[in-house]
Amino acid sequence: MRKLLSLALALCLLLGVTSAFAAQPATEITFWHSMGGVNGEAIAKMVEDFNAAYEGKIKVNVEFQGSYDDAINKVKAAGMSAMPADVMQIYDIGSRFMIDSGWALPMQMMIDTEEYDISQIEPNIAAYYTIDDILYSMPFNSSTPLLYYNKTAFEEAGLDPEVAPKNFDEIIEFAEKLTIKDAEGKVERYGFGMGNYGWFFEQWQGKMAKHYVDNNNGRGEEPATRVVFDESGGAKAVFEVWKKLIDGGIITYLGRGNNDAKAAFISGNIAITLESTAALKSLLTNVGDNFEIGTGFFPNIHPDDEGGVSIGGGSLWMLNTGDEARQNASWEFVKYMISPDVQAFWNAQTGYFPITVATHEVEAFKENLAMYPQFGTAIEQLHATKPEFAGALLSVFPEARALVEQYTERLINGELSVEDTVTNLARDINSAIEIYNLTN
Amino acid sequence: MSAHQVDRLPARTGRPRPRKTFYDLIEPYLFLAPAFAVFGVFLFYPFARTIYLSTFLTDKYGNAKVFWKPENLGLQNYIDLLTSDQFWASVLVTFQFVVIVALGGLVIGLITSLLTVRKYPGVTFASASYAMPVAIASAAASMAFRMILHPTNGLLNILLGTRINWTGDPAWALFSVSVLTIWLASGINFIFISAGLRNVPDELYESASIDGANYWRKLFSITLPSISPTLFFQIIINIIGAFQSFSQIRLLTQGGPGDATNVIVYAIYRDAFFNFRFGTAAARSIILFLIVLVITLIQFSFEKRSVHYS
Repeated sequence: MRKLLSLALALCLLLGVTSAFAAQPATEITFWHSMGGVNGEAIAKMVEDFNAAYEGKIKVNVEFQGSYDDAINKVKAAGMSAMPADVMQIYDIGSRFMIDSGWALPMQMMIDTEEYDISQIEPNIAAYYTIDDILYSMPFNSSTPLLYYNKTAFEEAGLDPEVAPKNFDEIIEFAEKLTIKDAEGKVERYGFGMGNYGWFFEQWQGKMAKHYVDNNNGRGEEPATRVVFDESGGAKAVFEVWKKLIDGGIITYLGRGNNDAKAAFISGNIAITLESTAALKSLLTNVGDNFEIGTGFFPNIHPDDEGGVSIGGGSLWMLNTGDEARQNASWEFVKYMISPDVQAFWNAQTGYFPITVATHEVEAFKENLAMYPQFGTAIEQLHATKPEFAGALLSVFPEARALVEQYTERLINGELSVEDTVTNLARDINSAIEIYNLTN
Repeated sequence: MSAHQVDRLPARTGRPRPRKTFYDLIEPYLFLAPAFAVFGVFLFYPFARTIYLSTFLTDKYGNAKVFWKPENLGLQNYIDLLTSDQFWASVLVTFQFVVIVALGGLVIGLITSLLTVRKYPGVTFASASYAMPVAIASAAASMAFRMILHPTNGLLNILLGTRINWTGDPAWALFSVSVLTIWLASGINFIFISAGLRNVPDELYESASIDGANYWRKLFSITLPSISPTLFFQIIINIIGAFQSFSQIRLLTQGGPGDATNVIVYAIYRDAFFNFRFGTAAARSIILFLIVLVITLIQFSFEKRSVHYS
């Protein structure tokens, strides 16, 4: 019996080996991404389709690497010896690090070699990843922040449900009408609420047409050496808004990041909120028939601000593995991921922008837009901004963002005045930049 | 028990000792070698490396790059920390957290195990409930508490009819995180203290009853002194656990609001794996090590005076 079994096993092994030799070996590449949940399932489907289409030529092994932070930390740890992946999704604020590391193969190289036409990529999206006319990474999952409001609550409060507030003066005015208190004066619904999210702070600098750091907002030949939001008054303006909202009892504090604000909006406890365009699909699904969701542009700080939003999200980076076959395979894969049909599918599944204009012509995209007209606001907002507001690049962005959130808390808890918050925040970020530039 | 005294062999006498060979000399070290190899790789080397790193600034890959600073003998990281208000705030927060959690966990564990020491219907269910937190991952519990403590839709605020910002208000944040940690630690406290209670000899209670002692008298004069080794052990375990608490802070408050829950371990994580400044993180670790060392020494001197081993 045992002999028979071992014979069978040996036979299987032999068959397996020979069949592997018989087939033409496909070029295998590894793709690291950070999309969990529904978005991760969409990625898996897209990779599966790619593998089917390129069967026998290219095989992509897709690996989920946890959050954006985790993924970039893993590549930092592995990068000393060999590149752990061929294509990798990196978040917006990891861009400067990737450029400085020298591990990345700029997309521009592949584009130039092949004379690939990139004119169809949305210019306001490409601008973020273009430094000195070199496109470093391929935009993939791009989003902007958006204002979401509860249309049903607007109607109840006697506000026009088709008009979204455009700036904080209007938000405060609307919020006062939207707030509901019970007999004891406890707030049952806040008119407005937002997460304490460092990304918004960056967006508002762009909305005020101001820079975050020096050296052309970190996009010059030399990397940034210090922040400029303290001198420009940009930080002061944002913190004053926070202070006004908290001190006036207009909002309650909803934690760092925007998960808690999102939950509060879905349950109807806040009537207006700020969130990424990428949250649209999940907001619509979670709210269901409870109320109708409206969308508006990300609000200005002052009524007369003339800047625009920049994109966030992630992009696809090709890592320099030194293996030409794998690099060419990676390029094929990247091109596939931004092709109109795939982008239309991606957009419908997630709410991220289709990154090429050509996608707008795809039937699936048109259907999705007809079903969720709210998404039109996101596209309008993207087209209303300009490449010059593409946002800052900064090597220590993750830390800077966390510091912004921490100091916002110290401000609204009354520990620091607006002026001291700005000074201390600038001091801490500057010292982080200084140490980074000293050691790298 | 004195098992270790029984198996001691009688000393060899009469036969002259043979001359020591080279093998005899190295033999004990060969036995120690595996342990030293393991400790060396996982304990001594990392420790030495931490001390080394703490005198440097690291580059973006975490390599020691700049000796910081030569004129201060490489102690600049320590000087920066010891002169920063935020560091001292984080030390203070850590101590508050450790004291609340160590004592809270012990008291809850003691009460729950006293409640289940006698047999009554449903005692097994009660014991299982009290022990259950042992089986709950702190990350999962933190996610559940995040929803329970949500400022506008949280279960707790709805039940209490309040509008307290449990994790966003500096007055409540440390308390909320501590309560979660106490609950998580209560299971292991319950199990150990229950085991300790079962080992108290019944004769002591019998003779106390004959002498007319009431419940409280028995509790304070018999039970607590008898289980003092267990309580002492549990306090140490609780303190170590509290110093290591991470996921609840990472998930509930991220050290905030401001620095209200920024305990040292979280600050180390932040420096090392978020800001990629291993030098400062290493310096923080060394300071944490010294703090824990001092506390352990205090605990053991305290043990000699107050813990009663029968």
